[in-house]
Amino acid sequence: MLKTLLHKQMTEIFRSYVYDAKKNRKRSKAATIGLIVLYVLLMVGLMGGIFTFLSLVLCGQLAELGLSWMYFALMGLIAVFLGAFGSVFNTYAGLYLSKDNDLLLSLPIPVRYIMLSRLLSVYLMGLMYSAVVIVPAVIVYWITVPVTAAAVAGGVLLTLLISLIVMLLSCLLGWLVAKISLKLRHKSIVTVLVSLVFFGAYYFISFRAQALIADLLTNAVLYGSKIKGAAYPLYLFGRVGEGDGLSMLVWTAAVLVLFALMWTLISRSFLKIATASGKTAKAAYKETASKVRGISGALFAKELARFTGSPNYMLNCGLGVLLLPVCGVVILIKGAAVTGALNAAFAGKPGCTAVLMCAAVCMLASMNDMAAPSVSLEGKNLWLAQSLPILPWQALAAKLRLQIALTSVPTLICAICVAAVSGGTAVEAVLFVVCAVLFTVMMAAFGLFLGIKMPNLNWTNEIMPIKQSAGVMFALLGGWTYSAALAGLFLWIGWRMGAAAYLAAAAAVTGLLFAALLAWLKRRGARIFAAL
Amino acid sequence: MLNIEHLTKTYGDKKAVDDLSLHIASGEIYGFIGHNGAGKTTTLKSIAGILQFDSGEITIGGVSVRRDPVACKKQMAYIPDNPDLYEFMTGAKYLNFIADIFGVSAEDRKARIHKYAGMFELTDDLAQPIAAYSHGMKQKLAIISAWMHDPKLILMDEPFVGLDPKAAHLLKEMMRELCDAGGAIFFSTHVLEVAEKLCDKVAIIKGGKLIRSGTMEEVKGDDSLEEVFLELEGESC
Repeated sequence: MLKTLLHKQMTEIFRSYVYDAKKNRKRSKAATIGLIVLYVLLMVGLMGGIFTFLSLVLCGQLAELGLSWMYFALMGLIAVFLGAFGSVFNTYAGLYLSKDNDLLLSLPIPVRYIMLSRLLSVYLMGLMYSAVVIVPAVIVYWITVPVTAAAVAGGVLLTLLISLIVMLLSCLLGWLVAKISLKLRHKSIVTVLVSLVFFGAYYFISFRAQALIADLLTNAVLYGSKIKGAAYPLYLFGRVGEGDGLSMLVWTAAVLVLFALMWTLISRSFLKIATASGKTAKAAYKETASKVRGISGALFAKELARFTGSPNYMLNCGLGVLLLPVCGVVILIKGAAVTGALNAAFAGKPGCTAVLMCAAVCMLASMNDMAAPSVSLEGKNLWLAQSLPILPWQALAAKLRLQIALTSVPTLICAICVAAVSGGTAVEAVLFVVCAVLFTVMMAAFGLFLGIKMPNLNWTNEIMPIKQSAGVMFALLGGWTYSAALAGLFLWIGWRMGAAAYLAAAAAVTGLLFAALLAWLKRRGARIFAAL
Repeated sequence: MLNIEHLTKTYGDKKAVDDLSLHIASGEIYGFIGHNGAGKTTTLKSIAGILQFDSGEITIGGVSVRRDPVACKKQMAYIPDNPDLYEFMTGAKYLNFIADIFGVSAEDRKARIHKYAGMFELTDDLAQPIAAYSHGMKQKLAIISAWMHDPKLILMDEPFVGLDPKAAHLLKEMMRELCDAGGAIFFSTHVLEVAEKLCDKVAIIKGGKLIRSGTMEEVKGDDSLEEVFLELEGESC
């Protein structure tokens, strides 16, 4: 029975890799393997690459000082932090809010089996994020320091323990979110606000990371002795990676005890939370004349209600709405240092600062990708869009306009702030802003294009289309690639034509891409949407 | 009002609807019966413009569903077998959304929401999110939304499932009222007693093919509809 449930859960998680929803048939083995390889390459290549570089910086120096344990403790903490950060926002929905709750609870399945199968999803998500940090860290250690059997065992155990710690933290926070959520009326907004505090902490630490690491390396011995004295468990945690037998034993026992506690905590409340209907205080209906909207206004309002009605949707696909203006203001305050550093670093390439900052704004704007999962999110409601007297394109246009509206204005604010401090000419500043705003419009069309090409209408949890779909991943990576290309091409050959001409050319290319995508969406995309 | 000519729809190798022709006039309540998988929902979805059919023609008020689907959809309303509505909206917001799409004036929508929500005793729940509704409440909301724009044709797939006896009675009255005012209703049902009492005409479908249609008297004669249906099912086996 448990095996069947785990199989069902795995099928749900990896469905898009083995099943082509558009053609309504199983993918070929080659296509499945190709997609998995592509995903692994992207994860390992992009995120793994960053942490391999960080490991290379830290490992040699700390190992030389006899502080290998500190290296593992640091990388382990980063892995726990990233793993918990990556999965915590999905844990509540993943554990408790699946659409198949009623079905599974009505079957003669022990509740602990249902919990266990749901935990598998949480575990895999945490493992994925933590592994991109700790696996390169362990491998770099094995390459840098003469490897022993104990170190190999320690490295493997550390990876395993970290993935379990991530799951423990995610489940604890998911349980807390569930408890709070059941008592709140405006759950979506409160969940988003609480989550934003986590994001704030994450970005604060990320921005400070370089300074913190430099400080750590300079005073490694001092910090090492302090940690040993004040945070002995952390010292033992680091020693696990080195292959110290006692540390491995202590931490394995500690994690197992914590797992048992977490299991007890969740199993006592699972049924209650999974079947709870939340705060029951009833809102009173007032019979007043409602605002009359046109078709496009009504469809836009519907898309906006869908977006603001789901914390998962807002957090995973709309962070840029807040981050773009915040970054704009931060750059206005601290811009001189950034522009000074960029001007000094690329002194031989005039105009570089404006282009690089434009690319940075574009990269930030690509955090908004609400159009990409919007088609899949129609799910079982698709019959409404198809049976109402609207053109398929009108339904798609509303999804497109939502992303454009929620991204272009914050991008405009950010771009104006950044352009103001980038130190270029007035023409460069105008082209900077035009280029960034055109990018947001093009990315909205690109996201919707992916949403139509890779729909998943049969989901049991909205996390699947929002976070675990290929379309969303490609939308995000597409934005990053485009931004990187914008900067990279300028540094390679673009600087010869000057920043203004380069930005004008980039704006033209972006505009043309948008026009091509728009034409596709209006004709082919609308036809595909109508036939879904 | 509704003309279906030689409608054919296949899924892979299977013919879900096979050369089906039906004519539903204004003022008629037309029942559509058949066993599970007979092709009722496929037919209704094809008329509603949700499914693209392979061949044949469907016209509503003389307008082709294939050529001008939006004009057809403006004249009709569709209620599916499972009322999957926008759960992130409240009942009131959903009804206003539907009214916006159909261009219903503020006065008309206010009056209709007042009338139908009151009839179905749903007024107090209109401020609640649809996610908190029971199946029956969602079905009632789907019915109210179908009546919001005063359609000429209503398509319903198993409309009585999930309704309490009072709501089912109200729905039957509303159906008759709409048809008396010149509208038409085409609905599928497994409840043969309801079909027998309510319908002016009935069509029986099996394996995608229409096996009998006409007025209730023509189809059943002196027997009950259940007897005729079971007899026809047996014959075609």
